[in-house]
Amino acid sequence: MDFLQTSIDGLLFGSAYALLALGFSLIFGIMKRINLAYGSSLLFGGALAVWLEPIIGWGAVGVFLVTVLGAAFAGIYVERLCFSPHLGKTGVMASMIASFAIWMQLDEISSQLLPHRTHSFAGIDIEAVSFSGIILRGDQILHFWVAVVAIGALYWTLYRTRFGLLLRASADDPDTAYLLGGKVARLGMATFGLAGVLGGIAAFLILSSDGQITPHFGLWSTFKGLIAMMLGGVGSLPGAIVGGLLLGFAEAHVTFYLGAEFRDILTFGLLLLILVLRPGGLLGEAIYRTGRLAAERI
Amino acid sequence: MSLYVASTLTNVALISFLALSAYLVLVVGEVSFGQQAFFAIGAYVTATVTAIFGGHIILALFLSTIAGGLAALLLAALVIRLSGLYFAIASLCFAELLRLTLLRIRIPLEIDGRSTGMDGPEGFSNIRWIFENDFEVTDFLILTVVCLLALLLLLFYFERTTVMLRARLVGRDSLLAQSLGVRPDHYRMAFIGLSGMVAGFGGALFALFNTHIEPQMFGVMLGVHALAYTVIGGLGAPLGPLIGVGIDIGLLESIRALSEYRMIAFGGLVAVLLIIFPQGLLSPRAVNRLWGRIRRRDV
Amino acid sequence: MFELRRITKSFGGVHVLDDISIVLKPGDRVGLSGGNGTGKSTLINIATGFLAPSSGQILLDGHSLNDQPPWKYARAGIRRSFQTSRLVPTLTVRDQFRFETCDPARRRQLVAHSALEDVLDLFPFQVPLPVLRKIEVVRALLADPRVLFLDEPSAGLSGEELSAFARFLSRNVSGDAALLIVEHRQDLMRVLVDEIVTLESHVPSVATAGKPAEAVGDA
Repeated sequence: MDFLQTSIDGLLFGSAYALLALGFSLIFGIMKRINLAYGSSLLFGGALAVWLEPIIGWGAVGVFLVTVLGAAFAGIYVERLCFSPHLGKTGVMASMIASFAIWMQLDEISSQLLPHRTHSFAGIDIEAVSFSGIILRGDQILHFWVAVVAIGALYWTLYRTRFGLLLRASADDPDTAYLLGGKVARLGMATFGLAGVLGGIAAFLILSSDGQITPHFGLWSTFKGLIAMMLGGVGSLPGAIVGGLLLGFAEAHVTFYLGAEFRDILTFGLLLLILVLRPGGLLGEAIYRTGRLAAERI
Repeated sequence: MSLYVASTLTNVALISFLALSAYLVLVVGEVSFGQQAFFAIGAYVTATVTAIFGGHIILALFLSTIAGGLAALLLAALVIRLSGLYFAIASLCFAELLRLTLLRIRIPLEIDGRSTGMDGPEGFSNIRWIFENDFEVTDFLILTVVCLLALLLLLFYFERTTVMLRARLVGRDSLLAQSLGVRPDHYRMAFIGLSGMVAGFGGALFALFNTHIEPQMFGVMLGVHALAYTVIGGLGAPLGPLIGVGIDIGLLESIRALSEYRMIAFGGLVAVLLIIFPQGLLSPRAVNRLWGRIRRRDV
Repeated sequence: MFELRRITKSFGGVHVLDDISIVLKPGDRVGLSGGNGTGKSTLINIATGFLAPSSGQILLDGHSLNDQPPWKYARAGIRRSFQTSRLVPTLTVRDQFRFETCDPARRRQLVAHSALEDVLDLFPFQVPLPVLRKIEVVRALLADPRVLFLDEPSAGLSGEELSAFARFLSRNVSGDAALLIVEHRQDLMRVLVDEIVTLESHVPSVATAGKPAEAVGDA
């Protein structure tokens, strides 16, 4: 019974990880870049929401909207400053370091918005459901469904709209997307905005379930998203979902059976193991240096 | 020299070791988020040797350097097949695993009535070498700077050798390197090992200077800062990383009015610098052009 | 002696090379011709270890080189140039020649023979494309290769430059070395090459061999 309860808790929480990982995967899949400022743009959204809450005063709805919009706005800011100036093949390093620098900046700005370090974050009260001994927290069920709807909307956008077609085309080959009429510069902004929206939703779910926000959330969510993405397979959307759920599942079990202090050890150990044994992630391709040799243009 | 200036300069020099170790990895084309691990290993080894066993500082520095190098070689051996993002994340995992493990190791000791030894999150206290040897802050600054200059001279000499040229080639274009008979994996292993030695040495001095170390000092922020210093400073010459460190700690920290907003300023500055100088301030091409001017050597 | 024995290569379902065999003995000068997409570059990539063949063997002095990494080929004296010239963009031309530890006199001689003295202090982006190709050839020659593969080294050269380049090659490729050169330019072939191998498109691809005069005469 404990096992089942822990598994369900883990998977429900993992749905938020999946959203974080999707944001990362979207950016990596389309831009082939790592956005280290991702977590802190989500933190910025959350901090802004807390700061503006007394002014707007719509309760949880207002907090949700500001978190999502703030994260998307910060994402676009990051894209303009760190990624669009470094589009060429040699820009990989520069864009990564620039995004690290903006991570520091957004963290600092968020800290200024959260002067007491720990602030309460609007939660949603829904009664817990229990059947045959399994207890499901109401807010976590809501999380799960919000995550499902968000993922569904993402898939719909990517596979049923012209905008999605352009995004997917530019993931394969920016030149083709250009020929199809996509303005590559705007596609970059749209990608970061979309990733920001997904991450903003995830941030709201996680923060409201914790009931509080601290400046540590930026680093935390960058790590969790990155790890979930690497577990599942870099740049693969189904991989991100599987990786997120797996991470939630594994963390819940380690916390339950070994204690919270072993949670992070296991997370990093698991990731290192997967990188050594199957670097492409569970659903990604096996990418070794030698295997890639042939694919590279000689 | 005021105490504040001396200790700021010492910190600049200490972080420079870490930045130089990130530089050595970047030279062979890899990005490491985990150099702080070797820094931490160096720090803990020196703390153990001097504070617990009362060993000589030379022995401590030597063992720290070796330990850092061996740990780096271990990481390299595990993930030598990986590159790019995968290598970066693997190095991050390695460093975080080490830090989390250090948090769990508790072997507190009491020596001469003072608590010392590894004590999990409490850290390793009373590394009293500088007190026992009557080192003032300025004395230690001189020691650190001399060591740093020696390392820099070594690297400058190294820079114009065929080995370094080939290492850079491996970093830029691994396929071309192979077509010229250069074995990339050997260069990667060797340079990652070297980077671990440099970081281990720096970590050793760090432990002596701080007299107290704890696992939280060696978080991922430390490593990524070292990396950022190197990238904005430029990969053209070993001076690049030092310029990066100087800009952040030396320049921004000295403007005290900025202190509260230092990271906001630094973050924006780095992003803008990278737009203007995508290859860093001392880019390889700029450095090579300079060399061409200075020394019109024979073919 | 270097030998490609019954090499086939397909990418996905597309057969690029079908049962190609080539033997290169010391002193051989072979031209490789064929239209676009007949797998000339693929053949060089296989012969230098950059691509694994789908089947067939690569032998040097009777020892198999299959599944070896490219650097082993290079160290065994099998060198190449690339179709799109591949130089380090941050190094001056002079430094491009410093990867090889070779006799400085030999280096000076090669640079003088190839008339590269004027560009030694320039960066690759400041040098016209045909010169870049020449730099690559010199770089490959520095190692004193046993077998040398050149992938369209003369593209973009004018008639006069071309004959100078041909003279340079015949003068500087050691008499003990085998040379295989991918070329469209029949004039270069005629001067330099004893034998022409023609790769043909479509399955099954056939390698035809003949005297340069005959093969070129029909063209």
